[in-house]
Amino acid sequence: MIIHFLSETWLLWLILFTGALLFRASRNSQYFHYVFNRYLLALVTLLTVSAIVFSLMEVLPGDCAEKMIAYKNTQGESITQADIAAERARMGLDKSLPERWVNWVTDLTLKGDLGFSCAKRQSVNLALGDRFWLSFWFCIAGLVFSYLIAVPFGILSAWVLNKPWKDRSPQHTQAKRLLNTAGLGLAKMTDVMLRIISYLGLALPNFLLALTIILLYVFAGEAAPTGLFSDEWKQVSWFTESGFQWGKLNDFLGHIWLPIFVIGWSATALQLQTVRALVVDESNKLYVDAAKARGVHGFNLWAKYPVRHSISPLFNSVGFDYQRIFNDLPIVAIVIGLTDASALLIEALAMTNDQELAAGILFLVALVVISMNFITDIVLAAVDPRVRKSVLGTGGPA
Amino acid sequence: MLTAIFRKNKPQTDTYDESYYTAGQFALIKARFMKKTVGLIAGSLLGFMVLLGLFAPFFSPVDPTIEGANPDYRRGAPQVVYFWDENGFSWRPFTYTYSKDKPKINLSALAKGGNLAALDALTSSGALNSSTQNLFTVDKNQRRYLQFLVTGWEYSLLKIDLLGIDIKWDRHLFGVDQGSIHLMGTDEDGKDVFSRTLHAIWVTISIAIVALIVKLFVSLLVGGVSGYFGGKVDAVLMSITEAVRVIPPIPIYLACAVALSQIDLTPTQRYFAIAVVIGALDFAALGRRLRTHILVERTQDYVLAAQLAGSSHGRVIWRHLIPSFGSYIIVDTLINFPYVILAETSLSFLGLGLTEPVNSLGVLLQKAQDPDIQQNMVWQFFPVAVFVTLIMAFVFVGDALRDAADPYSERNK
Repeated sequence: MIIHFLSETWLLWLILFTGALLFRASRNSQYFHYVFNRYLLALVTLLTVSAIVFSLMEVLPGDCAEKMIAYKNTQGESITQADIAAERARMGLDKSLPERWVNWVTDLTLKGDLGFSCAKRQSVNLALGDRFWLSFWFCIAGLVFSYLIAVPFGILSAWVLNKPWKDRSPQHTQAKRLLNTAGLGLAKMTDVMLRIISYLGLALPNFLLALTIILLYVFAGEAAPTGLFSDEWKQVSWFTESGFQWGKLNDFLGHIWLPIFVIGWSATALQLQTVRALVVDESNKLYVDAAKARGVHGFNLWAKYPVRHSISPLFNSVGFDYQRIFNDLPIVAIVIGLTDASALLIEALAMTNDQELAAGILFLVALVVISMNFITDIVLAAVDPRVRKSVLGTGGPA
Repeated sequence: MLTAIFRKNKPQTDTYDESYYTAGQFALIKARFMKKTVGLIAGSLLGFMVLLGLFAPFFSPVDPTIEGANPDYRRGAPQVVYFWDENGFSWRPFTYTYSKDKPKINLSALAKGGNLAALDALTSSGALNSSTQNLFTVDKNQRRYLQFLVTGWEYSLLKIDLLGIDIKWDRHLFGVDQGSIHLMGTDEDGKDVFSRTLHAIWVTISIAIVALIVKLFVSLLVGGVSGYFGGKVDAVLMSITEAVRVIPPIPIYLACAVALSQIDLTPTQRYFAIAVVIGALDFAALGRRLRTHILVERTQDYVLAAQLAGSSHGRVIWRHLIPSFGSYIIVDTLINFPYVILAETSLSFLGLGLTEPVNSLGVLLQKAQDPDIQQNMVWQFFPVAVFVTLIMAFVFVGDALRDAADPYSERNK
């Protein structure tokens, strides 16, 4: 009995246990005091998010009982107004909004239960299934893609900002000057190209980019890699008697690059600008001059001083970058024909008016963003002495 | 005077000009902006496009509504303007006269046997497709000369309902001497794509303007109150702001748009409602920045002086604190233009923002999704090109402006 109760309410215990652990640690250490505060703040934000999401879903037309009745109507049962009222009472829809919200949150925190999806006729957890993870990894892949391009090229872009096109230093030999000129020219060209591309990334909405790529495939007379798998592999499972299906993996990789590229594209544009601005800002500071005066130069100077210091704000924004990418994903999913959580979200919002499902997905996305913000905050406070000092007040020698 | 100082390679010492040191914030921004070639080019392009959009009825040769639709030229290709052809050169640009082909449907097979196989053959032959039904023959010997300032349908050149001003005119920049000219072809209903696009520019920009005004208002309110009072007010407001910030905005817009679609609204009301929703939910970033600024600024002496002089809280926030952040607020608002436009476009693209009879760029972009249009009516991608140009111009101007507004940007030069 007790075991059953404990396993039912695992999420609550997890939250409480983590909180207690952090609270205990916070009594002896200033750092854990900060972590504990951030933990509480994250929980409060989550609660606010759930309230906002829940009340937002109220504006969607129709409610669960009406949909259930409509469904029963199609089954040939005749329904009266009293039936609707009874159904409402059974589902608890006759209660006030705050009461229903409290119920929703209690279910969620006690059991991790996101409610019942009216249009899908199953629980939200089941309806979502792996799709949420699919979206999650899409976004992460898009993020990684954008960082892989944005960080090195943003740094390059900042580095060439105040460099001349030509090396005219009389201390260099003729050959070295020529070589340097060529290198600088190449770097400048790359910078200009990347800036143009990044501006295009800001100007061309994701769905237009996806459409353009699909159109190019159409003009080339080939099938566009829409969806997740091509038709022949859709029904084949990953593991059959003949072992792991490498063909399916190949097919998957052939399709997956399109959404990742498309959602990574506009994120890259913004990221590139951010990295560039951050590195430019940092490279003007006095500590860089001081390092130069000590004789640090070249790659060492850049990697150890301005770049290292501009990485932490960037790292700090991972949560919001994830949010921005997820924000673009639904429309891309519609154009490309994906079947992930974002497509489900659009379906729930715009077609079936499935409040609980939409609320569940939105809440999960917010949960991911909040956890990412929490993790990046505490990692940064542990790693970066500047942050540690500012969050811990007089936190000893930095 | 001011620009002379910013000119490169000119040492500041030889002509000491006081204007630099006494110049206001905006004069400095303007002077720095004027130095950016790309920003200036993008700015003039932007100005040109806004002008095109603002006086769209004057610039468009055909009425873009269903009344102006040309039923004889549905799904028609763009009409190219020529100066010369094999029949000779003409100073006056011209296009050709077209006539619609009679659809060649052979119904004799159906009439004879009347069996289903013949019907199948007819449908699969493509003769009933709208693209084969709308074929046009161009008569190269019948030129239609372009004329300028022609009389056309009447429109309001300037209309301000509040002041009761409504100037009507019926002249258009150009047209042809007979029939109508479709520079970018027509759509399925025979509506002129070129005129629709011109009209759409202003609709889209005006949505963005309304949304940004609402956004500005909400951010100033939240940021100002939160920063000025601090403490518990700040904690509550900021936790709400934080919560709004972590939820992806497009789904929220979508939910609101669906809710709006339940209310019976005229297209104009709907248009404003969407702008208000987009604006009202976008306050988080600016609100937070304003709050941080005001938190620092509220301990300054001038605020204390204002309070001692008996200013109310509202007055201190509005007249003293917010103006101290004015240039940032304005620049941020201008930079946000393309993002608001993108939000409206995404909504319309999903069919939940503005819908078909309205000419907005999002509505026109939505067509790009249609495989029929992708393959048979490529000219309907003209609005896409206009859209990308518009956003690009906004992004470049915003970028130049951001650089110009940065007070530390000169240090390196």
